[in-house]
Amino acid sequence: MKETEEENFVTPGEVLGKASEFKAGKGAYVSPHDKTVYASLTGFRSITPPPVDSDDPRPTVEVTGHKAHGPVPEPGAIVIARVTKVMAKMASADIMCVGSKSVREKFTGIIRQQDVRATEIDKVEMHSSFRPGDIVRALVLSLGDARAYYLSTAKNELGVVSAESAAGGTMVPISWTEMQCPSTGQIEQRKVAKIGA
Amino acid sequence: MAGKASATPATYSPSPTGHRKKRPPTLTDSDWIRPDGRTVHQCRPAFLRTGAVNSASGSAYAEFGNTKVIVSVFGPRESKKAMMYSDTGRLNCNVSYTNFATPNRSQAPEPKDLSSMLHKALEGAIILKSFPKTTVDVFALVLESGGSDLPVITTCASLALADAGIMLYDMVASVSVSCYGKNLLIDPVSEEESYQDGSLLITCMPSRNEVTQMTVTGDWSTPKIHEAMQLCLDACSKLGKIMRTSLKESASCPHD
Repeated sequence: MKETEEENFVTPGEVLGKASEFKAGKGAYVSPHDKTVYASLTGFRSITPPPVDSDDPRPTVEVTGHKAHGPVPEPGAIVIARVTKVMAKMASADIMCVGSKSVREKFTGIIRQQDVRATEIDKVEMHSSFRPGDIVRALVLSLGDARAYYLSTAKNELGVVSAESAAGGTMVPISWTEMQCPSTGQIEQRKVAKIGA
Repeated sequence: MAGKASATPATYSPSPTGHRKKRPPTLTDSDWIRPDGRTVHQCRPAFLRTGAVNSASGSAYAEFGNTKVIVSVFGPRESKKAMMYSDTGRLNCNVSYTNFATPNRSQAPEPKDLSSMLHKALEGAIILKSFPKTTVDVFALVLESGGSDLPVITTCASLALADAGIMLYDMVASVSVSCYGKNLLIDPVSEEESYQDGSLLITCMPSRNEVTQMTVTGDWSTPKIHEAMQLCLDACSKLGKIMRTSLKESASCPHD
């Protein structure tokens, strides 16, 4: 068993196969001038058969990361971020987790007024949607500009996941737009994420 | 970091090119034994280990004779705010010498030169478009400078990048050759470097057979350059195998 594992363990630059026989998956790339698939990560080589309905008969060869670099936000990924600044037209947040993995060092993201919710986007009040210190679940819209990724909370399951009230207790969501402090009973406005079914 | 006895030898020497041209025999010829007991075409034994620095994304330690280098890689992480947006990732290299690396401070080369040379050597091997907008930082620290520093730094940095999980086109191996009169000394030590007539440094990707950097200093004739290049490329491919073995070893015995 150990021998087959060692045969399948690849390092960057090792040949995985010919481009005519395999498609390059994650951790592999095709070199155009000699039509070969090489590995680009260190890990184990795995071959997945092609999906049933695709017209490409080649199986995909990929390198299942023995070690992958820390996660980086990509467009379309769900991230967990902590709001740092709330301004009139946007809120700034530090991205702390991408998917289910936490990042090694935080990335900066912003949520613009028009991306907070799906309806009535011009009437959004940033201060009634987020406060500094809130933990939000957001979707990465794009790489954004040099300073920050663009995030969006315009879906039911996106928005504030956990927040602290002015008194200091962890608030409980009571509706789409309100959260209540359990100790003082104060209701505060947030763009709440619907968790669960 | 418990060491494991490996089956592959840690020394590597390129095949001699003597069959093509016979060099006129001089006093200092191919049977000349160098101060550390090597022949002219023999490289120093290489000791490579990954995972030396826990807090970094990836790291490696290399010891080639008396040259000891430790490289840590951080990233991909957010670029500084002042930088302009870029579609591809960025590489940032920094080489520094410790105070005790050389016998006297004046021998330490200018760190900015080595940093930019390391950058040129590595940027051809990293798939930058796989991490847009972010930066990968490579920090190399030379603990002891025993000669042939930049090749060891480059080799160690490539191992650290592979350990960090950064996507690479191929591993990068680097070897330098010193020219002394009619002789070529591979992998020179600092004493040999001080009386060399010229040097040739090659950084290549052994599996893809591509050269990412070539540095030539001093006086070289064309056939000499060809011979030196052959020696270097041969040594690089052997060094590449040693690097892959050390990656495999560190992966199979997890660190505690």
